[in-house]
Amino acid sequence: MASRKTPLLGRFRLGYVSPAVLFVAVLLYLPFLWTAYLSLTKYDGLTSPEFAGLKNFGALLHDPALLTSLRNTLLWVIGTLLLPVGLGLLVAVLSYDVKGGAWFRLPFMLPYALSGAGLGLVWSFILTKNGVANQLLGALGLPGGHTSFLQYGPGNTIAMVVVWTWQQLGVNALLFVVGLQSIPKAPIEAARIDGASGWQLFRHIIWPLMRPLTTVVVGLALVASLKTFDIVWVLTQGGPGRSSETLGVTMYRDTFVANDYGYGSTVAVFLTVVTGLASFLYLRTQVRKEDARA
Amino acid sequence: MRRVILAVLGLVWLLPTYLLVVNAFRPATAYDPAKAWVPSGHLAIWGNVVKAWHKADLGGGLGSTLLYSTVSPAIALVIAALAGYGIVVLRIRGGFWWFMLIFGGTIIPNQMILIPLFVRYSDANLYDHRLGMIIIYTAISVPLAAFVMRNFFTGVAFSIFEAARMDGASTLRIFWQIYLPLSRSALAAIFILEFTFVWNDLLLGLTLTQSSSVRPVMTALSALQTDVYAGAPIPIGLAAGLVVSLPTVVLFLATQRLFGRGLPLGQA
Repeated sequence: MASRKTPLLGRFRLGYVSPAVLFVAVLLYLPFLWTAYLSLTKYDGLTSPEFAGLKNFGALLHDPALLTSLRNTLLWVIGTLLLPVGLGLLVAVLSYDVKGGAWFRLPFMLPYALSGAGLGLVWSFILTKNGVANQLLGALGLPGGHTSFLQYGPGNTIAMVVVWTWQQLGVNALLFVVGLQSIPKAPIEAARIDGASGWQLFRHIIWPLMRPLTTVVVGLALVASLKTFDIVWVLTQGGPGRSSETLGVTMYRDTFVANDYGYGSTVAVFLTVVTGLASFLYLRTQVRKEDARA
Repeated sequence: MRRVILAVLGLVWLLPTYLLVVNAFRPATAYDPAKAWVPSGHLAIWGNVVKAWHKADLGGGLGSTLLYSTVSPAIALVIAALAGYGIVVLRIRGGFWWFMLIFGGTIIPNQMILIPLFVRYSDANLYDHRLGMIIIYTAISVPLAAFVMRNFFTGVAFSIFEAARMDGASTLRIFWQIYLPLSRSALAAIFILEFTFVWNDLLLGLTLTQSSSVRPVMTALSALQTDVYAGAPIPIGLAAGLVVSLPTVVLFLATQRLFGRGLPLGQA
């Protein structure tokens, strides 16, 4: 090969990957490493960072705002897995083999068109104190007509998870439908002939066959919910009084509002470690289950 | 029974959508929470859009956002396709590791890159600058695009490359004239995904821009949101929300056929 005048695969082959590597290295990996370093410093963004060891991480442990933020993030994770993912699965199972199923799913798909910021605009006027939600409760003669949905933690986080559910259910349902339509028909038919139906059929035949897809959908939702930022920022900016902050919002506020760049980096590192750990543990349990079945 | 549950749940889901549309069409001064459910009978949406346009300066923001969400994914696609071609077709040594390095970028949370970007962008005069936004959106778009393009090129027969080589074409020319056109469907699919991602971004815009002409539209919209509490009429905010969501909706509807058969991301 080397002796040929022009080798089959050409010369300067590294030139093909280098632009991609350059972009990713300079704009993603280098900042990543630098943030990791900054988490060990005292840094206000103006003067140069001063090495401070693990001081920021110590402060992290005693920061009440971080504790609230961690609790809210956990609520986001649990809420996301129960509501958009869980209800999405329900809608998918109910509609996947119904005639006109796509039409039944349309109402759930519409909200997906709104971005996080658009979502905030729609829901803030529904959820404010004399907003539409309270008007509706009052008109129906139901209690709670003066609820301040976004005023107190952790209720405001739960209200926002509901808003998120309104937007995300459709996509999750769609992903599950694709999965349901692609599972083999033979085992389902066989089980039907054996007399399985309804819940039994779902629990013992359909659910196990959907496993690979469920793993992906749940995994994506898990990682996304840990990084929740947009909807909180637009609806409450993490307030009132930091009561609805998530880790993503806390990082932003500590850094760019409180100008504590060192501590902000520490929160970012913490968020990254939590996300990485959660993904790892989740994937491990999934792989274990696969092995157990094999 | 299943249809009944679906229909009821669907109706509940339509309520906020209904409220959004009805109140976006309401004259800006006529909003009353007690009557939010009743259509006003007016078609004031155009006037609301115009007011939002001025209030949040959506015009400049929309133009810039359109620039970011088309140019960045386009550059990212070419860069990623080049990398995929190098790794799969030209069989670069250690190709798998190069690929892992590029694709690994997807697992970095945005929060881990914000601070250095903000500081360095300020130093390099890229802060609040359109070029700066194009660069970072490109970088963020590269890993996923590389993932898809690598998969795609794996499905293209190597004999195509060999035949073109025998005819004397250079490797770069084969890339431009054969491999890139061949992967149109995959390129279009990623382009739509990345367009939507950039269009909807809030965090990077919030951190790296300031002026209303450079600021992406979602950031402008979230600023309008804070104004809602300060007394900006609700119909105006809702109208702005609708307008800003329109491009992604239109793009998805226009390309539905592409996605209808499942994402054409795997096979040639």
